[in-house]
Amino acid sequence: MRVFKFFLCLAITAGLVYVLDRPWTIKNAAVPPVGRFLDPFQGFWANLEASGPQIPDAMPIPGLQDKVTVLFDSLAMPHIFAQNEEDLYFAQGYITAHDRLWQMEFQTHAAAGRLTEIIGRGPGDAVLNYDRGQRRLGLAFGAEQTLKSLESSPVTHKMVEKYTEGVNAYIQTLDYKTLPFEYKLLHYKPEPWTPLKCALLLKSMAQTLNMRDKDMEMTNALKMFGFDVLQALYPDREPVSDPIVDKPNGWKFKPVTLDTVPLALPDELIQLKKLPAEPIKVKKLPSSDPTTGSNNWAVSGSKTATGSPLLCSDPHLGLNLPSLWYALQLHAPGVNTMGASLPGAPGVIIGCTDSIAWGVTNAQRDLVDWYQISFQDNKHDKYLLDSQWVDTKRTIEKFVVKDGPAYYDTVLYTHWGPVTYDDTFGDQSNPKYYAFRWISHDPSNEFLAFYKLNRAKNHGDYMEALDHYESPAQNFVFASVAGDIAMRIQGKFPVRRQQEGKFLLDGSKSSNGWRAFIPNDQNIMDKNPARGFVSSANQYPADGTYPYYITASSFEAYRNRRINQTLAGLDHIRPEDMMKLQTDNFNLKAEESLPYFLKALDSASLTPAEQKARQILASWNHYNDKASEGASYYEAWWNSLMPLIWDEMAGHTLENPTTFNTIYLLKEKPTFSFFDIVNTPEKETATEVIRKAFSQSVVLMEKWKNDHAHATASWGDYKDGYVGHLTRLEPLRVYVKAGGNRDIVNAHSRTHGPSWRMIVSLETSGLKMWAVYPGGQSGNLGSAHYVDMLQPWVDGKYFPIPFLHDPRDPKVQYSTQLHP
Amino acid sequence: MKFVIQFFAILVSAFIAQLFLPWYSLAVVALAIGYFFKSNANFLAGFLAIALLWFLKAWWADAHTVSDLSTRVAIILMVKSKLVLMLVTAVIGGLVGGFATLTGALLKYKRKMRWY
Repeated sequence: MRVFKFFLCLAITAGLVYVLDRPWTIKNAAVPPVGRFLDPFQGFWANLEASGPQIPDAMPIPGLQDKVTVLFDSLAMPHIFAQNEEDLYFAQGYITAHDRLWQMEFQTHAAAGRLTEIIGRGPGDAVLNYDRGQRRLGLAFGAEQTLKSLESSPVTHKMVEKYTEGVNAYIQTLDYKTLPFEYKLLHYKPEPWTPLKCALLLKSMAQTLNMRDKDMEMTNALKMFGFDVLQALYPDREPVSDPIVDKPNGWKFKPVTLDTVPLALPDELIQLKKLPAEPIKVKKLPSSDPTTGSNNWAVSGSKTATGSPLLCSDPHLGLNLPSLWYALQLHAPGVNTMGASLPGAPGVIIGCTDSIAWGVTNAQRDLVDWYQISFQDNKHDKYLLDSQWVDTKRTIEKFVVKDGPAYYDTVLYTHWGPVTYDDTFGDQSNPKYYAFRWISHDPSNEFLAFYKLNRAKNHGDYMEALDHYESPAQNFVFASVAGDIAMRIQGKFPVRRQQEGKFLLDGSKSSNGWRAFIPNDQNIMDKNPARGFVSSANQYPADGTYPYYITASSFEAYRNRRINQTLAGLDHIRPEDMMKLQTDNFNLKAEESLPYFLKALDSASLTPAEQKARQILASWNHYNDKASEGASYYEAWWNSLMPLIWDEMAGHTLENPTTFNTIYLLKEKPTFSFFDIVNTPEKETATEVIRKAFSQSVVLMEKWKNDHAHATASWGDYKDGYVGHLTRLEPLRVYVKAGGNRDIVNAHSRTHGPSWRMIVSLETSGLKMWAVYPGGQSGNLGSAHYVDMLQPWVDGKYFPIPFLHDPRDPKVQYSTQLHP
Repeated sequence: MKFVIQFFAILVSAFIAQLFLPWYSLAVVALAIGYFFKSNANFLAGFLAIALLWFLKAWWADAHTVSDLSTRVAIILMVKSKLVLMLVTAVIGGLVGGFATLTGALLKYKRKMRWY
């Protein structure tokens, strides 16, 4: 009996250990090994950090050549001092991985279409479809091209190789206890870092910034509405003008011209005037949020209080945790640079050296084309190109799936690029084959540009560095201690014919491809303009005399004018004025549209709630401050108005016209046929559609107030912004009550916004930086530095970022010595 | 008294083992202690010792951090609060500790029988 009891107990104990040490799936939710995960010694409890340094005073790290000193300031931002460049990038890799390893790996897995390995196929195969999309867009293909290019330069080869070694040296130190929280929660382990992952990270940024297009939507609009309506809905250039570089007739060069087809509309569409042609029905991959954008500007010393230039940069991106940016200083013989780095990429991306500063905003330009492919037969082995059957290149993509069998997909590569949409992908009812041409599939070496920028001393160095920069195209603002300010729109831009790039193209003619690229010295740029400042905010890039045809999915219309108006009106500018401008909540769009909207309510009979709403709106100061109620009513009105006006677009592969053009049409063409609401018998004009949207929005506002038991709807509450965790797990979100919105200088919409706010004063006595970002230096959810900058960011506060020289500087909180 | 000795022996030795070894080392330790130190309530001693050890360790970690990670994990695992999460942690450790101690104690009991 005892024997039986003994074996029974032994079996129970062993069974418990087994059950608690393996992962489970309960109701489709993955549960980590409960015992291991909850073990307070090594499980997730071990990720709860006490305050204070999380790194020893000294550490031997195999692979270093010499001693490296890392000083940490009060934000836990590392200032890395190395004796040589190799050690500098090695240490950057090590220290960045120490704080952000999980994020680095997750982001590059996402870019490469490998998320199924970590989280399985997802509900309704959502994760698998995301991964398939990434492979079919050729992200890894583009990264491999970049890798070849960066490895062909000894400088960047070394840079990326050493960074990789540093990351891997950190991975070597990990055991279950020290593993980042997310690995424990999702139950997997980091794999070795590779140079390809550095390249993948760049491609992922390029995808966010340079992959927006509306070729299929425009083609459909052309087929459904005809060319004249198309031009009214989607003009190449909207009647609002404050371009990034405005120097009429100042373009003194002989542009590259293409002597072929003057109009690159597809042949079958040129003659087409609203014929009953069948529209394309493709479920397109979601492109990046159109509110993604940025501000940057530099003010010349003639307009500042110190007499030295000021440079400001705030890139607007999806706000996630861990934060996209990782701030640091890199110091070694020949280099001293500080600013925002991307975890996973060596060097500093936005920041300063001891002589210059630079910042970026996205350059709006069409760098994507879609080509319809004609295959010889259903085997897809050959496709038509210039009257010949050309071999398709076939790649088999394997998707390793967590807790399931692997999935295989075939991606066909053509002369143009990968065939993204076909009969197995894109949910088509009329299967056609569309190949994807993207600038970021071309080999380029952006790391060389950043390597050089990180060492630049003057305007000439900046120009030389940017010559190596191709993708994603950016507006690079510049200022130097020597007193220069400049702007340069840099990227690899195809020379386009009129209308080219807006519509689907015929993939059977190689003449439809990109024939030439704009030479670097003919890109749009400016230096020390008479107005005393340069600025960019994703608007149309140049005045009408710039000789190249420019098209993009959209151009910004409001932030740029507010910034320029403010800068033009300021003098003796101090950094505080720049902080005020970066966090400015003035809603220019509301100022230009609300009086017109309110006029539409004249003589309308209003309910008591509507009367009150009208009153709130009429007395609103047009600032989207977080406490403002007028802002909530205006935004709710706008959100009801857009779908009501463009109801014709719903259910088709079409895109709504821009905010600016919508308001323009409402004011200038109030009887435009699109203002009629399709499913009502009466014929609406601008006035009626504005009124209907108003009533709708007031009902929604009343409901919101009821649901939330609030007497008033302040904008911060109503917007309900949050910073989500990269896993998209809801309990890991952090909610913020913040002002601003899209089209406002403080561009914080619900989930997007200024991901890094930086101000640099380029004083000869020593350059000063102030910065803040919505998160914190540590990627560990259990750290005091995980979100310590988030609330200051919401409140519009900045931190002085010390540019350190001396380990005994009082701003140093703690330090570590890395040695071989 | 035997119970108290057994209880502390498990608590201290599991604490030391867990500083270096994976979590299930506590089962081996508890089994060994159950074998060497027996009491009238072996399961209870093992359960309480490990539950207390795990609860205190989890509470200690949480008390010394400014982060709210334990609350967020509680929501992910669908338990009410971080206190409940600490109790769940304690019970899970305790169950393994209790059964392991009992297993060890049973082994010893049988051998003693032969000697009497």
